[in-house]
Amino acid sequence: MKIHAFLLTVLLAVPLLPGMCRAAETGRALKADVLRSAPYSDARKTGVIVRGETLQILTKKGAWLNVKNGKRASGWVRLLSVRRGTAGSGSTSKGVLDVASGRAGTGTIVATTGVRGLNEEELKGARYNAAEVKKLDGYAQTPRQGEQFARRGGLRAVKFAYLPEPKQKGGRR
Amino acid sequence: MKRLRVLGFFWGFLFAVCVLPAEALDLGEALKGVVIGGTAVTSGQTGEAPPKTEAIPGEGKPAFSLKSPSREQEIDIGREIAGNLLGASPLVDDAALQTYVNQVGRWVANQSERADLPWRFGVIESEDINAFAAPGGYVFVTRGLYRCLENEAQLAGVLSHEIAHVVRSHHLKILKQSQLLDIGAGWVGKRVGTDREILRKVIGSGAEVCARSLDRSAEFEADRMGVTLTVRAGYEPYGLPEVLQTIGQTGRDESRVTLLFKTHPHPDDRLLELDESIGNRLDAVRGGKTLGNRFYRLKP
Repeated sequence: MKIHAFLLTVLLAVPLLPGMCRAAETGRALKADVLRSAPYSDARKTGVIVRGETLQILTKKGAWLNVKNGKRASGWVRLLSVRRGTAGSGSTSKGVLDVASGRAGTGTIVATTGVRGLNEEELKGARYNAAEVKKLDGYAQTPRQGEQFARRGGLRAVKFAYLPEPKQKGGRR
Repeated sequence: MKRLRVLGFFWGFLFAVCVLPAEALDLGEALKGVVIGGTAVTSGQTGEAPPKTEAIPGEGKPAFSLKSPSREQEIDIGREIAGNLLGASPLVDDAALQTYVNQVGRWVANQSERADLPWRFGVIESEDINAFAAPGGYVFVTRGLYRCLENEAQLAGVLSHEIAHVVRSHHLKILKQSQLLDIGAGWVGKRVGTDREILRKVIGSGAEVCARSLDRSAEFEADRMGVTLTVRAGYEPYGLPEVLQTIGQTGRDESRVTLLFKTHPHPDDRLLELDESIGNRLDAVRGGKTLGNRFYRLKP
């Protein structure tokens, strides 16, 4: 039984490895914001974060992250105030990723079957592929099929107005 | 017959010259004037009759016009672009994956004002991180981007952003601007070909329109609409922001995000813009689902 659990863990973890998209549990404050004692906007204030500072992300709950900023304070902050992952990440793994995606050196495309990028030149030179369009048509779903699929997952349509354009603030944009 | 056709295009040209420059110069204004339903009609121009209604005698189809394309023409344009894009990157050969993406996409598109379109969704063979939309309801996600997703709510978020581009005809507007250049280059007056040839003139070479940047405000708008559609479809609202968070971690110098970062505002800016729009509007939204269990995982 234990071995099974272990195997399952390994099996689940392996496909995630090449993804390279996992978040390290640190983040950076995108803007100054207030830390609160609970994930609600009217919860007690426990501290503040300043723009650009590094945060430790403990947990996530809905629209909120529970974070800790080094020595000073911990609390809940809105998810959108924090960029998850460490600043400047990616550069260290660049070589590996570029080799994996068939690109190495300075923009040279290495001939690798099955993996390719999509740069402007490739898009510009693309030729119509009728067979693929036909395949695409074959996968299409009707509105009714979409509804049935949603119901199977327990999804229910919600009435919600389009989010408004933000008011121009302090010269940003 | 031929003369009539040429005349039709002459009037189309005159119309384009009179109307398009104002629009091309001020996309922001044009965006505000968009009438929901996809056909772009800018305010103050309602007195002019769009030339699409001038049917060519002997032919079933109305003359081609980008000013106010019919639903069918919009789909034709999108289909041509989609076919070209698939020429660069074919569909991932996994029927279960493609069906799944169409199921999620269709359900989300049902929540938009253009549920009537024949929506098509596809995951394409590319390790780049990117997604594309073409007029008429064509939406593509690269394998590289799909790999970054963790649950169905995030997939819904990504598809919603692209659906919003289609609903607001963002790419048609880009094409309208460039059509002007084509006309300037002497398109009119020369032999006018078949509908297909005209279509190709309109969309440019291959799928280059997919490599073009939209206005920043169009991207922010698609983000806001994307979050909205995700909420309407019953998903956890933060699918799209979470994906933006993930993409934001990718180094700017990585080739797989070169095109995405070139054609879109940086994810950090998009998150800040979303944050300003959302405020506490999502606090009351409860019960949204992530559906991590149902999410179709790529074969390694």
